[in-house]
Amino acid sequence: MTTPAIVLPAAHRDVDARWFDWVGTVDHKRIGLLYLWTALFFFLVGGCEALLVRLQLAVPHATLLSPDAYNQLFTMHGTTMIFLVVMPTLAGFANYLVPLMIGASDVAFPRLNALAYWLFPLGGFLLHFSWLAGGAPNVGWFSYAPLSETPFTGVAHGADYWAISLVVLGVGTVAGAINLIATILALRAPGMTMQRVPLFVWMVFVNSFLTVLALPALTASCVLLLVDRLFSAHLFLPSAGGSALMWQHFFWSFGHPEVYIMALPAFGMISEVVPVFSRKPIFGYAFVAASTVAIAVLSFGVWAHHMFAVGLGRVAEAVFAASSLLIAVPTGIKIFSWVATMWGGAIRLTTAMLFAVAFLIQFVIGGLSGVTFAVVPIDWQVTDTYYVVAHFHYVLFGGTAFGVMAALYYWFPKMTGRLLDERVGRLHFWLMVVGFNLTFFVQHFLGLLGMPRRVYTYPDLPYWAALNMVSTVGAFVLGVSSLVLLFNVLRSLKVGEIAGDNPWNAWTLEWAAASPPPEHNFDALPPVHSRRPLWDLAHPDAPDSRVGADETADAPRPSAAKVAVLSFIASETAFFALLIVAYAFYTATSREGPSPHTSLDPVRTGLFTLALIASSFTLRRAEADHDARRTRRSVGWLVATIILGVVFLVGQGTEYERLFRNGITVQTNLFATTFFTLTGFHGLHVLVGLIALAVVLVLALLGELTGRLAYGLRSVAYYWHFVDVVWIVVFSVVYVRGAL
Amino acid sequence: MTARDLLLHAWTWRPLLLGILSTVCVLHFTRMRLSHPWRTLALLAAVAAVVVALVSPIDALARGTLFSAHMLQHMLLALVAPPLLLLALPTARGAAAARGKPAALSWAMGVGAMWIWHAPALCNAAATSDAVRAFQNVSLVAMGIAFWLPILGPHVDRRLSDMAAVAYLFTACVACTILGISIALSPVEVCSAYGHASDPLGALPLVQGAWRLTPKVDQQLGGLLMWVPGCTVYAGAILGVVARFYGAPHAKVQEA
Repeated sequence: MTTPAIVLPAAHRDVDARWFDWVGTVDHKRIGLLYLWTALFFFLVGGCEALLVRLQLAVPHATLLSPDAYNQLFTMHGTTMIFLVVMPTLAGFANYLVPLMIGASDVAFPRLNALAYWLFPLGGFLLHFSWLAGGAPNVGWFSYAPLSETPFTGVAHGADYWAISLVVLGVGTVAGAINLIATILALRAPGMTMQRVPLFVWMVFVNSFLTVLALPALTASCVLLLVDRLFSAHLFLPSAGGSALMWQHFFWSFGHPEVYIMALPAFGMISEVVPVFSRKPIFGYAFVAASTVAIAVLSFGVWAHHMFAVGLGRVAEAVFAASSLLIAVPTGIKIFSWVATMWGGAIRLTTAMLFAVAFLIQFVIGGLSGVTFAVVPIDWQVTDTYYVVAHFHYVLFGGTAFGVMAALYYWFPKMTGRLLDERVGRLHFWLMVVGFNLTFFVQHFLGLLGMPRRVYTYPDLPYWAALNMVSTVGAFVLGVSSLVLLFNVLRSLKVGEIAGDNPWNAWTLEWAAASPPPEHNFDALPPVHSRRPLWDLAHPDAPDSRVGADETADAPRPSAAKVAVLSFIASETAFFALLIVAYAFYTATSREGPSPHTSLDPVRTGLFTLALIASSFTLRRAEADHDARRTRRSVGWLVATIILGVVFLVGQGTEYERLFRNGITVQTNLFATTFFTLTGFHGLHVLVGLIALAVVLVLALLGELTGRLAYGLRSVAYYWHFVDVVWIVVFSVVYVRGAL
Repeated sequence: MTARDLLLHAWTWRPLLLGILSTVCVLHFTRMRLSHPWRTLALLAAVAAVVVALVSPIDALARGTLFSAHMLQHMLLALVAPPLLLLALPTARGAAAARGKPAALSWAMGVGAMWIWHAPALCNAAATSDAVRAFQNVSLVAMGIAFWLPILGPHVDRRLSDMAAVAYLFTACVACTILGISIALSPVEVCSAYGHASDPLGALPLVQGAWRLTPKVDQQLGGLLMWVPGCTVYAGAILGVVARFYGAPHAKVQEA
């Protein structure tokens, strides 16, 4: 018998059940769908912003939009499409598909997954709230300082909202990426070795590392910009001794990997769609996989090609031109692999395949125009013209967005149990191809004719009006195609043809689950001996040749918690690396006012440093005692660690107090700004570490540090040791070097 | 001095070094003959790298004239010659697995080889003193070999796992990138000895005039050499590891 006390909430739940099931879900599939629906919403928002921009540009001397409204719209369009559409869409597909493709029942950390998702609408809300708070950001999606500094933007807070929302979105994206890395390493089904994972999983895996390492650079850059804007510092203000160039370096050290963050998962989607609809396994799996690694590594070393126009000097230009040309090679390898996969295949031109083929052609065009930028003199000619706009839309829209459409038509039946309508799909495809190429192909010519980007109107020069009108018409065709997509999705959800488990006769594990998959994903998994387990299942007489050695059912997997903590530490390392580089650079250029030599006391801080270093050793003892089940001693060492941590924080606090008394604050000079930013963020990390230690301490006292939580102490310890190591580096760079 | 003079006459004939290199080559040919052509090729490439670094005019320029020449020498000795040398050695299986701490030490030595010798005091000392430079060159090769052992060491079973090897190489690449960036963009002189070039060669008019390598550009080029081509070496090694990852198990299956 149930008691009334339980019946009541259950009845209450019935009313809100569907609502709550979505808001409170930790199921990777639902979270994936939430990502996709939210991204679709922002796609419509960003699309409307683009249509307004194109409407303003349809004719010369147009007065539809004021210059400031135009600036806000193109800034919001770019920021929205990149951070609120492309990245969440790719995250949504990865969330939905990766556990299914590797034969897992969920991601490694379902609740972290929910947090990562909910930070996305929060960031989107923050960004768009700026419309109500005195105007949206109007400084372009890369927010070039010093133009995004208060002397140029006035008191409007648009750029602040831009930076804050990007920090929030960055945290969510990194959390999602860490979760995916842990999931892929720790939760693969027996037999699903890293050599056998579907290429989409592999690319998401590599991409997650890119995200984990590159996003913190954006976060740190935004932090520095906010310090400038909100605390009246002047890191990026040359008029006050700051550098007009460092923002570009900081931003593009994130921004170039970001280009690949937005492309690699789409490459993965194409690598799944093309083989299935060519009825052939992918050509050169290892080449596609290895070239992905090459792209990821090289992407960190080429960002300066975004800065050829600033005058880096011919030596730097030559070096970065060469490295930028180099990165075209692994991308080219992929293109050849996809084409070779189709070669001689029994091609089925479904809507998904049509989008994949269009992706190939358009991405090649975008890639080739990208190579032209590596040639420095050409870059000088066309930089900041519509040629650039055409180029990156061919990569991101003609490439990534078409790849996403291929993925949507391909996996929609898995997600919903119903097929998208193929006839409406074809209409959608052709409208999108025609609209896209009309809009953006002509922009190559506009750029070569010298039309600069980001100007709200233009004079009536030969061909400009006609080409712009063509582009605007194309944009509206694109708008219509999006409505057709929306119609197709909504209609197919209700009346689409029932798909069955494997409508395309595909070969990867997600098609072994029901459509849509139940909450636990699989009732039984087929054995995995190759990269196409479902092919092997259907063709026992002619299975694929075995890839690598087989695994037993209890094959070892790394601990998800350990992988996650180490990935998190890698991400934090990138964040601190940028802050330390900023400190070193700005302190070397800081000519006036206090210097480390005159204002810091290395002996005093050295004593507090010893306390922090000692805390690592006490924590080691706590870990050892915990492992040996000497709980009381372990608790004692934990308390000692916390006390030492607090001592360090008190030391920092008193040092700040002494500096403030001497009139040294975050806005005094470049040294002081970066000193307080670096040590302040380190102090914040110590504080977070102390809170985590306190939580672990309480759990240990309650005797709960067992079973699922047994790894808690070790995870926190990894983080604490990391924070200590960061301080040793900071102490050496700031105090020891400063004293010399 | 013209570029032609420099190329023809600025060679540093080091009998001891050339003797060692010739002995190594002779030993290799007598022991292995041409049974492993790739190993022979790797050995010859390693020897060539050392010769370019220490015998060719690069060495003369690195003696206080050009920081970028010093950097090229540095990279060839620490980053190019050691892995090629290890590739030339015959491999062995069945050694007791000893992973973990030695890898961290190797990493620190490899990255340390880059960072330590670019501390301004040490860099200046090496640029001006023959004895310090000789020690520097030997230490670079030694630390380079230590760095590459966990990746290419002759004891196959003592090598890092593929995943760990990628992390090992990538983090080293990042560490060198940060150093390269710092040198390339630094507003201060890293190695002031090159700023007031002593020019025993008489090559300064050529270097600063015809090549337009002023001390500032010279330092930028040096930093960039470490940053981009340096990182490309690590990236290439990462690709090699990935190729090994995809290649090796197939071979194993065929053996079985």
